[in-house]
Amino acid sequence: MPEPDAPTGTDRLAFSEASTGGASTAEPAPLVATQGLTTIDLHKAFGDHAVLRGVDLTVPDGAFAAVLGASGSGKTTLLRILAGFERPDRGVVAVGGAILDDDHHHLRAERRRIGYVSQEGSLFPHLTVEGNVGFGLRVREGREAAVTELLERVGLSGLERRYPHELSGGQQQRVALARALAVRPRIVLLDEPFASLDAGLRASVRADVRAAVQRSGATAVLVTHDQEEALSLADVVAVIRDGAIAQVASPRDLYESPVDPDLARFVGEANLVEGTSYGSTAETPLGWLELRDGHRPARQQVVVLVRPEQLRVTPSEGGGPGVAARVVETGFHGHDSLVSLVTEDAAASPMVARVVGGMRLEAGAQVTIKVAGKVHCWPRPPAGEAAPGAPAAEPEGEPG
Amino acid sequence: MTATGVAVEPAAAVDPMVRARRRLPPLFLLGASGAVAIALLIPLVFLLIEASGSGVGTIAHLIWRPLTATLLWNTVRLTVVVTALCAVIGTLTAWLVECTDLPGRRIWAVLLVIPFAIPDFVVSFGWASISTWVQGFQGAVLVMTLAVYPLVYLPVAASLRGADPGLEDAARSLGLGRVRTFLRVTIGQARGAILGGCVLVALVILAEYGAFEILGYQTFTTEIFTEFQISFNVSTACALSLVLVVLGCVILGAEPVGRGRGRAVRTGAQAQRALRRHRLGRATLPVHAALGVLVVLALGVPVGASAYWMFAGGVPFLTGVSLLEAGWHTALYSGLAAALATVLALPVALLAVRHSGRGGRLLERSTYLVLAMPGIVIALAISYFAERYAGGFGYQSAMLLIAAYAILFFPLALVGVRASVSHAPVALEEAARSLGRRPDEVFLRVTLPLIGPGLAAAFCLVFLACATELTATLVLVPTGVQTLATQFWAYQQNLSYGQAAPFALVIIAIAAVPSYVLARFFDRLPSRAGIAS
Repeated sequence: MPEPDAPTGTDRLAFSEASTGGASTAEPAPLVATQGLTTIDLHKAFGDHAVLRGVDLTVPDGAFAAVLGASGSGKTTLLRILAGFERPDRGVVAVGGAILDDDHHHLRAERRRIGYVSQEGSLFPHLTVEGNVGFGLRVREGREAAVTELLERVGLSGLERRYPHELSGGQQQRVALARALAVRPRIVLLDEPFASLDAGLRASVRADVRAAVQRSGATAVLVTHDQEEALSLADVVAVIRDGAIAQVASPRDLYESPVDPDLARFVGEANLVEGTSYGSTAETPLGWLELRDGHRPARQQVVVLVRPEQLRVTPSEGGGPGVAARVVETGFHGHDSLVSLVTEDAAASPMVARVVGGMRLEAGAQVTIKVAGKVHCWPRPPAGEAAPGAPAAEPEGEPG
Repeated sequence: MTATGVAVEPAAAVDPMVRARRRLPPLFLLGASGAVAIALLIPLVFLLIEASGSGVGTIAHLIWRPLTATLLWNTVRLTVVVTALCAVIGTLTAWLVECTDLPGRRIWAVLLVIPFAIPDFVVSFGWASISTWVQGFQGAVLVMTLAVYPLVYLPVAASLRGADPGLEDAARSLGLGRVRTFLRVTIGQARGAILGGCVLVALVILAEYGAFEILGYQTFTTEIFTEFQISFNVSTACALSLVLVVLGCVILGAEPVGRGRGRAVRTGAQAQRALRRHRLGRATLPVHAALGVLVVLALGVPVGASAYWMFAGGVPFLTGVSLLEAGWHTALYSGLAAALATVLALPVALLAVRHSGRGGRLLERSTYLVLAMPGIVIALAISYFAERYAGGFGYQSAMLLIAAYAILFFPLALVGVRASVSHAPVALEEAARSLGRRPDEVFLRVTLPLIGPGLAAAFCLVFLACATELTATLVLVPTGVQTLATQFWAYQQNLSYGQAAPFALVIIAIAAVPSYVLARFFDRLPSRAGIAS
């Protein structure tokens, strides 16, 4: 893979001049087929415990990507390898066509031009905000102006003289981001930077972080376990599961067409219904549903994904078309409610519908449900395995 | 939520795995720590070699005689009585200062700690010089209790300050009365700190020489000193040292057993509420009086007696010169030893804090074995070995004294360095590197500024301990050289109280003020800075 006549990775990546000069030299011919960030078959184990088992990931140049995974899925390890804090056991990391890690090379963290914002912010407690943000800038000249400009960009003007302990959690995270952006990284890694913030604060910090990263032109990789955060913030979401990437897709595609039922449940609430497909439609206990993928073989046993907001619920007195059901309980969330329902069909599992606005549905109410829009489906596993949905009931199976 | 069968919360869908990211420690760190641990255990090895040189039969014979029984009885009964008294006084005073509305708490907190800084042999000198009642067992109990109760007060006060007030509220809401709440919850929370303090008190009593020599009370340590230093009876000194080290190990071993397996846990990370203080009400005045008596006995008598002898005796001019000279030697030896101990503690602390694997913890624990070795044992092991086996290398040079200090006070340095190292988490160094800084720049601009103050504090702590050390100094100080402690001792032995007094006062002065500053510094650190943290 290495080209003999190409400049070495370290030469091209040394950024002591580039960080202050700003203008990048002409892009060299790519060693790896893509722009942006690429990992190929990354493996990492700690002792006997394999954390990454072959991660293949591509993030386009300038994109805001999210790596979504449960705790223990390996997402933080992946980020630390990208940053250069850990060395992969096997595999390749490349940025903009230059190799940072492979079996023979390991570019040290300080030479990668990859910014890192940790969950705690990791601000230097002995330095002021100004000292923190300017930490990576080597030239004194223009440093103050650069710091001022960066703080303005993250909405913290006037706090230059404060020490980290005098800042709120949200302010600390903004300083950490400004500090990472100060050295003009090609990539910014964000390791659950919003996890420790209050819910109210989180939304505004998220929006500001996203805007500041976008303006800097850097590619961003956000690690999170919060599916809502990943879907709402990122251009592209990679779901990591058991140390490997399960799916990379735009937030909408990931939500609507996940690769398997487990993933469907992981990225949101899901009703899984058994049915039989006929080309572009499927026959289910909820009626005939239109399939998003219109080329199913006839009479195939399938599992259909119906998101809660696709279930339209009307009181039975209205008498519209649909399937009769009974309300089991209603979880009120203010802007909407999650309604648990059982259909007349005793064998079917309970369903969840999202109801917007002021509709009041008491437990026991008789309603009619109807599916709106197209649905996604997968071929059903051969008989003998548990019905979809049934195993998922167990984690919450304890009554009361 | 029994009906949401298909709708599973995202987090529950994937098996939560244990996050195992234990990084392997770098080899040089392991190597350096291992070397330090071995160096610390050298005196023990010397001791065993010397003992085996005398032959097992001889040693057994020397141990198996009435003298040993007398020494054992003297040492153990004093240790038990003083430890119990210190536990009560230290805990009560800590509770009064930290948990009640006692007026003038801050001043009391200072006054109660200062006696800790005054060397035990100075306290002993002060009392013995004004009263003939203060001698033997009763004198030893009085002097040692007054001199070392702060060893219980300090950790208990820190623990009570960091205690969770929610627990007391919970106990009250569960129907426990005030007294039972105090005994079962407040004291229960501080149990580890009380125990840690008691272990330190017991170890100090095992190691004390000067105070008991003045009071004419015979313990293992005084007898070892006499056999080795005056009768040159090395075999007997070795045999008795073995018994003393075993006693120390027994006391050290009691600490983890007594601590129990409970650990403080809290759900949520909300800011801690301030402790609600108990009202003393009508007890305020008697409490003031009691604390006043304690401070007068522990602080007033030693300082007052020294001042009295100094002015009553009329200080000769020569004292000033010898004071300066002795002070210089004390500062030189203590400074070098403190620097050495701090440097030695650094790799062990780094290993323990950053790579909390089983190996690192074991290594760290093993260094605490030094606590079981009193100064006299370390001194005689080093001195005898240098004389006998190293061809007199370094014998009668300051090097041996500095090495002995560094070994003796290594645990002290480790506590300080460990606390300072935990102020510089790896995450900050990684952040600095991701900002393009080379490892050497990271060390200079991030690591050093963060751990510097703590290292300086650890240095000062060891410096003070060395400056007020008497036993090992008497054995190892180069011939013809006097330190503050040895010069004081020489005058005191000659009953030249007037000449000894200025030295006592200088020792008190250089120990008390910095000790107070240091106590404030370490108070702000997490409370588990005890010996087995």
